[in-house]
Amino acid sequence: MESVEKMDIELNEQGLDGSPVCVKKMHLFEHIGPLAAAAQSYGPKRTHSRLLMSIYIVIFKARINVLVPFGPLAVVLHYLTGKHGWVFFFSLVGIIPLAERLGYATEQLAYYTGPTIGGLLNATFGNATEMIISIYALKNGMIRVVQQSLLGSILSNMLLVLGCAFLSGGIVHSNKDQVFNKAAAVVNSGLLLMAVMGLMFPAVLHFTHSEVQYGKSEVSLSRFSSCVMLVAYASYLFFQLKGRHNLYSPIDEEENQNDDVDSDEEDAPEITFWESIAWLAVLTAWVSILSGYLVDAIEGASEAMSMPVAFISVILLPIVGNAAEHASAIMFAMKDKLDITLGVAIGSSTQISMFLIPFCVVIGWIMGKEMDLNFQLFETASLFITVLVVAFMLQEGTANYFKGIMLILCYLIVAASFFEHIDPNSNDN
Amino acid sequence: MENKGGRRLNVDTQSSYQLEMFENKGHISISHSHLEMGKLDGQFELEFEDECCVGPSPLIRNNSSPEIENHNESFSNAGEKCSISYMKYRVFRSLNIILFSAKINLLMPCGPAAIAVKCLTGQHGWVFLLSLLGVVPLAERLGFVTEQLAFFTGPTVGGLLNATFGNATELIISIYALKKGMIRVVQQSLLGSILSNMLLVLGCAFFCGGIVYSKKDQVFNKAAVTVNSGLLLMAVMGLLFPAVLHFTHTEIHLGKSELALSRFSSCIMLVAYASYIIFQLRGQNSSFDADTEHGESQKDENEEVQISKGEAIFWLFIVTIWISVLSEYLVDAIEGASKAWNMPIAFISVILLPIVGNAAEHASAIMFAMKDKLDISLGVAIGSSTQISMFGIPFCVVIGWIMERHMDLNFQLFETAALFITVLVVAFMLQDGTSNYFKGVMLILSYIIVAASFYVHVDPTSEENSHRN
Repeated sequence: MESVEKMDIELNEQGLDGSPVCVKKMHLFEHIGPLAAAAQSYGPKRTHSRLLMSIYIVIFKARINVLVPFGPLAVVLHYLTGKHGWVFFFSLVGIIPLAERLGYATEQLAYYTGPTIGGLLNATFGNATEMIISIYALKNGMIRVVQQSLLGSILSNMLLVLGCAFLSGGIVHSNKDQVFNKAAAVVNSGLLLMAVMGLMFPAVLHFTHSEVQYGKSEVSLSRFSSCVMLVAYASYLFFQLKGRHNLYSPIDEEENQNDDVDSDEEDAPEITFWESIAWLAVLTAWVSILSGYLVDAIEGASEAMSMPVAFISVILLPIVGNAAEHASAIMFAMKDKLDITLGVAIGSSTQISMFLIPFCVVIGWIMGKEMDLNFQLFETASLFITVLVVAFMLQEGTANYFKGIMLILCYLIVAASFFEHIDPNSNDN
Repeated sequence: MENKGGRRLNVDTQSSYQLEMFENKGHISISHSHLEMGKLDGQFELEFEDECCVGPSPLIRNNSSPEIENHNESFSNAGEKCSISYMKYRVFRSLNIILFSAKINLLMPCGPAAIAVKCLTGQHGWVFLLSLLGVVPLAERLGFVTEQLAFFTGPTVGGLLNATFGNATELIISIYALKKGMIRVVQQSLLGSILSNMLLVLGCAFFCGGIVYSKKDQVFNKAAVTVNSGLLLMAVMGLLFPAVLHFTHTEIHLGKSELALSRFSSCIMLVAYASYIIFQLRGQNSSFDADTEHGESQKDENEEVQISKGEAIFWLFIVTIWISVLSEYLVDAIEGASKAWNMPIAFISVILLPIVGNAAEHASAIMFAMKDKLDISLGVAIGSSTQISMFGIPFCVVIGWIMERHMDLNFQLFETAALFITVLVVAFMLQDGTSNYFKGVMLILSYIIVAASFYVHVDPTSEENSHRN
């Protein structure tokens, strides 16, 4: 009994939100049944049982983690055979569950840190997988891969994820048009357009050969613009978190699910504060390792699968990297919570375009790599037209399955274009 | 006597108005002394009052009227003093209102200083800077005088006046540059004017207004903004076609077709602008009341007429001439200043010239936004952009046509792309009819990106021009 009291006290301390958490934790333990009973009865093995519990919750409860073994398999393949195609494929599949668990751990952490920092956490680490992959590629000097994978991430979020969400939601709720909060969508569209502006100027400057110092001015312009875009993103976060809750609260649900009782599955944090930090660290390390193998295998895979590197970077990498967000966006659309879907999809695009891309430029600046905002004309043009199309579709604040179909078909067109696209620059590299 | 009786009748009915006028202008003592006089003074009264309201010059004729000597010592003295000193007073008042009452006129001496520097030394950098600073107060005064004149001419002609002379400074500078054959400078300064109005002025206005009213989103009239956005997009279309035509080398006669197309498109754009003006003036009172170009009742700062009609026309003339003189020095010094300061001419034309030229509009837009009168701010900013793009640019093309300069609508790819993306971004930001400080921040940061791009932008065609010269 003493052990049970200790556990109670610990529960009270760890539950920063107060007694409801404590109660729910007790319920959670009751659900688990025999394991919990066994855990409660062993005092000194409390840490062991918590560890097991933690591992159970994080690793075994999600069905997507069936794919986890692919990761180690990829590492094994890399050393045993030289088959880049298989290594690439396996590491790609192995990253999917890790990305999803990373997102889960971040959300759990957000429960403890309160809405502000939680929102910030989500805003920064929401695309941690892409960030890690990009930094690895940057270190390898594969600048075009970085640019193309980030671009592809934006495109897939805006077209594919949103399209699938609209389509599924529209089919489920086919008797009406689903509505969402127009204001937030408009702000995000504005930010995306501003990001496109930041990308267009260096590209057009370089393309019209009108730089003061050919090649160099454009890099310094990119670096300056990146700093400006980071400032813009910071003020966007400041503006969102500072008290426009009436305007953005439906979107905020994606970032801090404390105030929403509707999301049935995540009513309470399931792991403790320190556990979530620990898992965050473990998952990040594991993702980094796999990314290393992934990036190394890209070029070999492109030859083996006889696809352009551009296609792999723009289409394949992001689809897989975004799989978890994809699934959650579709699920929320089917539950008629389009605001959360939009927050996931468009918010992620905004985050990549206004934060991740400039951030990679700055990291490249620090590393001494010539990463710039000049995404070459074809990629910049495709981003521009995509942002326009999506901004127009979103501006009236309704959704139906036809819009979903249109967005998905647009994505198919984009994918086909990149399938036939050879990057002139990568040959020089 | 019958004449005088008639005039007296006129005076009687008008006397209350004139009393008000005089009271407004602080001439209370004179008017009271008039009315207290008896019948004998009737003649003098009538003539005095009649001619006072017209202006200072007829008063001089009145000096020789014999009736003055019939009055009391004090009044006759006062009358004599009135007539001469009244004229002096009016001149001084006029000068005071025009020259000294605006704090911005501290910059006035920069104008003569620029001329002095040009004649004494050859330092183009200083000449450029001083003439630029000297133009700022003149532009502001020009705007002020135009508004004053608009009071006398009624809303229709007043609106037309504002629509045409609202950007008189830019037009004058452009015409000088055109005369000198600096076609790229013209194109870039007009483009920069549009960009700075849409991004910098609007962004600062939204930002300041949003900070002052941080509790809520400020709202503005969507309808007027939508029309302006549509016009801006049409202007972009007019600029895009010649540029793309030339760039894709798909003209029938390389270089010439594109010029002919530009001239034709300019005429069309001028027709479009004229129909826009007609549409606005023709009684769109419900949806366009908020548009300040034609709604004088909403201007708080200029609630009363401060100078008379003749004075307004006179000062309009003087200030325009003075601006022209300074513009000539300004335009002459651009190339020298670009070398002296080590900046591309593109940057000077696109960023520096317009920021300074628009300084007065900038200040007034911010002030109106802080008073929660966003419609007027938008009218100033977006209306000015529309005016330059749909009237200023085509007008310069036509003037160039008359002067036989090769001014065309092909603004080169980089500038055209910059304008296109800017118009899109601004149109999107404005389409929901609300504003907050974050939108202001975004617009200002966009302008910084644009400015940075032009800082590293060398204009390929201007080098060809300088080689030709």
